[in-house]
Amino acid sequence: MSKQQAEVPYGTLDLLILKTLEAMGPLHGYAIARRIEQVSGDSLQLSQGSVHPALIRLEQEGWIRTDWGISETNRKVKFYSLTKAGKKQVRVEVENWEKATALVARFLEPL
Amino acid sequence: MMSVRRALERLLALVRRRRLDRELENEILAHLELAERDAMARGLSPEEARRAARLRFGGIERMKEEHRDERSFRRIETLLRDLRYGLASLGRTPGFTAVVVSVLALGIGANVAMFSVVDAVLLKPLPFPQPDLIVRVWEAPQPGAVNATSAPDFVDWKRLANNVFDALSAEQSVSMALTDKDGATRLSGKAVTADYFRVFSAKAQLGRTFTPEEDQPGAAPLIVLSHAAWQSDFGGDPDILNRRPILDGVPHQVIGVLPPGAFDRDETRFWKPLVFTPDQQVRDLRWLTLYGRLRAGVTAARAGEHMQAINAALMAAHSIEDRNGTIVVAPLAPLLVGADLQRSIYVAFGAVALVLLIACANTVNLLLAKAASRGRELAVRAALGASRGCLIAQLLTESVVLCLLGGGAGVALAGLLIRAARPMLAESLPFTADVNLDLRVLAFAGVVALGVALLAGTFPALRATFSGVAESLNRSVRGSSGAHARLRRAIIIGEVALSLVLVCGALLLFRSLLKLQQLDTGIRVEKVLTMSVDLPAGAYPTPQKAALFYREAAQRLQAAPGVSEVGFSTVLPLRWISNGEGMFVPGIPEMVHVRFKRVDPGYFDALGIPVLAGRGIAGQDREGTPRVAVINQALAARLEQVARIKNPVGKAVRVSTPGYREMMEFIPEVEIVGVIRSERVSGPGDPDPPVVYVPLAQVPSPGVKLVIRTGAEMAAVMPAIREAVREIDPNLPLGDVATMEQVRDGTLSGASRPAGLIGTFAAIAVLLAAIGLYGVLSHTVTLQRREIGIRMALGAGATDVFSQVLRNALSMVTAGLVLGLLGTFALTRVMKNLLFEVSPLDPVALSIACVAIALIGLLAGFLPARRAATLDPVETLREEG
Repeated sequence: MSKQQAEVPYGTLDLLILKTLEAMGPLHGYAIARRIEQVSGDSLQLSQGSVHPALIRLEQEGWIRTDWGISETNRKVKFYSLTKAGKKQVRVEVENWEKATALVARFLEPL
Repeated sequence: MMSVRRALERLLALVRRRRLDRELENEILAHLELAERDAMARGLSPEEARRAARLRFGGIERMKEEHRDERSFRRIETLLRDLRYGLASLGRTPGFTAVVVSVLALGIGANVAMFSVVDAVLLKPLPFPQPDLIVRVWEAPQPGAVNATSAPDFVDWKRLANNVFDALSAEQSVSMALTDKDGATRLSGKAVTADYFRVFSAKAQLGRTFTPEEDQPGAAPLIVLSHAAWQSDFGGDPDILNRRPILDGVPHQVIGVLPPGAFDRDETRFWKPLVFTPDQQVRDLRWLTLYGRLRAGVTAARAGEHMQAINAALMAAHSIEDRNGTIVVAPLAPLLVGADLQRSIYVAFGAVALVLLIACANTVNLLLAKAASRGRELAVRAALGASRGCLIAQLLTESVVLCLLGGGAGVALAGLLIRAARPMLAESLPFTADVNLDLRVLAFAGVVALGVALLAGTFPALRATFSGVAESLNRSVRGSSGAHARLRRAIIIGEVALSLVLVCGALLLFRSLLKLQQLDTGIRVEKVLTMSVDLPAGAYPTPQKAALFYREAAQRLQAAPGVSEVGFSTVLPLRWISNGEGMFVPGIPEMVHVRFKRVDPGYFDALGIPVLAGRGIAGQDREGTPRVAVINQALAARLEQVARIKNPVGKAVRVSTPGYREMMEFIPEVEIVGVIRSERVSGPGDPDPPVVYVPLAQVPSPGVKLVIRTGAEMAAVMPAIREAVREIDPNLPLGDVATMEQVRDGTLSGASRPAGLIGTFAAIAVLLAAIGLYGVLSHTVTLQRREIGIRMALGAGATDVFSQVLRNALSMVTAGLVLGLLGTFALTRVMKNLLFEVSPLDPVALSIACVAIALIGLLAGFLPARRAATLDPVETLREEG
């Protein structure tokens, strides 16, 4: 682990998970964690376990749905997928994110 | 902000906790398996793969906590866990749990039962709409006196004061004979003017109540029934409104039945219109009870002022001069309760509050003992990372669980107590009081249980978690800690003091009760039956008819098997004689106020009242013979005082005398023929009033009481008595059947009623204090086993150890007694009003209480002391070494 690793920016784990599910379709918890690591090019310091608390929150909000499926190791696991409300939420979160980064970007421009 | 949906989901998660935990566990396992598989695919060994997978996953336990935080409300989950843990911990020590729960059940149960009485009598509004507007009205001759009202005054007031009263009604108690095919029954009722039910805002459940013209002369005979009367006397007949029951020989139409409720707790079974006859229109005859409903917004005080003005105008108009009373308009509720009952209730409530305090103290003690013996368990938990707040929360939860269990058992106990006491309550409480375990009482029980939990639980919880971990772990071999023991001693001393206060109070009340029972009633009460007879106007229109009935009834009853003596009187002994009359003695200007009683020749003999001078009433004293009277000692003394008459026998006086049915009085000349020893007319404390007795045969009354001396039990003689009366008049019911002892107890027990109640509470308190003392001493011995062992090993004898433990007990009891005596002295003022001829500092009662408590204290100390003395030093030292 010699590379410089970044922590997950505060409040963005939800967005990363939602975006992952939008792109990949139904996935189980491990696959979601792996996918986030791969996309970030292993530059993200993410404890894989922390996707689970985030998943229960998103499920309770009604943005994702769970279905039982069978994992590659032949175990019964939960597969998560976006709901209609979840798809809407992706757009909201993306918009929020863009607004926030645009705002910060303005402060970073040379005066 | 949390969305509504999420909040609901999180609440739902509380109940699905177990399933969600299992699913999470499963997810984690699956996650790690997949990670391991990937790692092995990258060429790692199974060992390395497992390690790598765990490393990448992060802290499993921390993640689980986070997961629980996210999915649900953490605090509630913790509380549920503590509750579960608390229940399990209580279940592990069933003996301890049973003792604490029963101690609390006694304390809380007694308080809940007592509160239900306080609530029904003193706190709840009267069970009528807008009860604050209901008042009673009278003219008080002197401040503080309650008085009846005359018919003309009532009619005038009602006419002139309708701007302050919505309704004003007069009431008089009556009784009527209900006759049907099975015989005759005596029903108590009220004659009321038409506005009566408007005053109480009572609507009929069936039919209607009275209309304004129905209390005018010439109105048809009507009655309204109470719900209870409809159910019991008329079998709940749905066709009741078409029935014409025969009352006093006259068919009456039932126009309405009231809904069930407060009126059913009164003895009134029916109401009939009160129609004033011409002879009742006399301003000097006060015989009506007035109830009014104020207009909204009018206060009782303003109504009083207004009535005062009306009365002044009336007095001027009727040129009345000798009346200088004030009109009182008083709210009904306090009048119904009365000062005596209120005081009794407060004292009894104070006593149960003490019982609760003692129960609380016991619970603290038991919890402290438990905390001490599980100091190790708590220390281990603290060492494993439980915070102090966590431990306190858990201990508090445990005491809350205990108190809720105790509260539940207490409510059940209170239900039993109320049910058992219901007959006594019905007798001594106003009819408006509905004593029940309703929501208010349950809320009270909940508050008390939680209050006790906080009071009894906080201290032991703080105490138990106060000492450091290392100290606790090390301490177990050292015996009891000093501060702990001091606290528990202080609690025991307080308990002993409180129970002494209760026991003293109970003993004082019992002594007062004994004094009351020894009170000289002036009559023979054993084997005397009493009952009342009311002659209906239809069958007995003239005084001659009534006199004939009394003579014949006396003869027949005398001959009935089991009857030895028979007497008639208008008023029973020990029952206050309400009609005051005047005696006019030649030579003195003012009249002598006397009480007036009509008796037959058998009365004095039946009650064993001796004639002191002259003769009693005789058979020859009847209509047509010279009018005579017998006076009591009190009147003889009064005559000597005001008229210097040394020997009243043979003196001629004039006595104002009521008529047979008409209200008009006449003032005949009578000769005093005898003096009798005073019989008691009123309750304890009041001196005997002057009484004049005139022959029932010369001045008959339509209503009389029968006094019958019997040779056998009441139940054995009653059928013969009923048969004898039925032979003369089959339509005449006998009412109010009671033994003379019951009559006496009814009059005297008003002051003594709390004695039994407080006695019970005192017994409970002493029991609790003894349990507490025993518990503390026995626990001390357990904690000091090692110390005792060492002392014995060093040569202390069994008697030394025994006496040391007992001395310890005795020192606590003595301190408690001193404190308790101080408390008793402080409460003398409260007790004084409840005691009859007993000082609140009665030395006999106080010393018996002290000795009793000291003995019980020694007994509680005896068993632990003996256990300490029989300890085997070798075993004790080995066991904890």
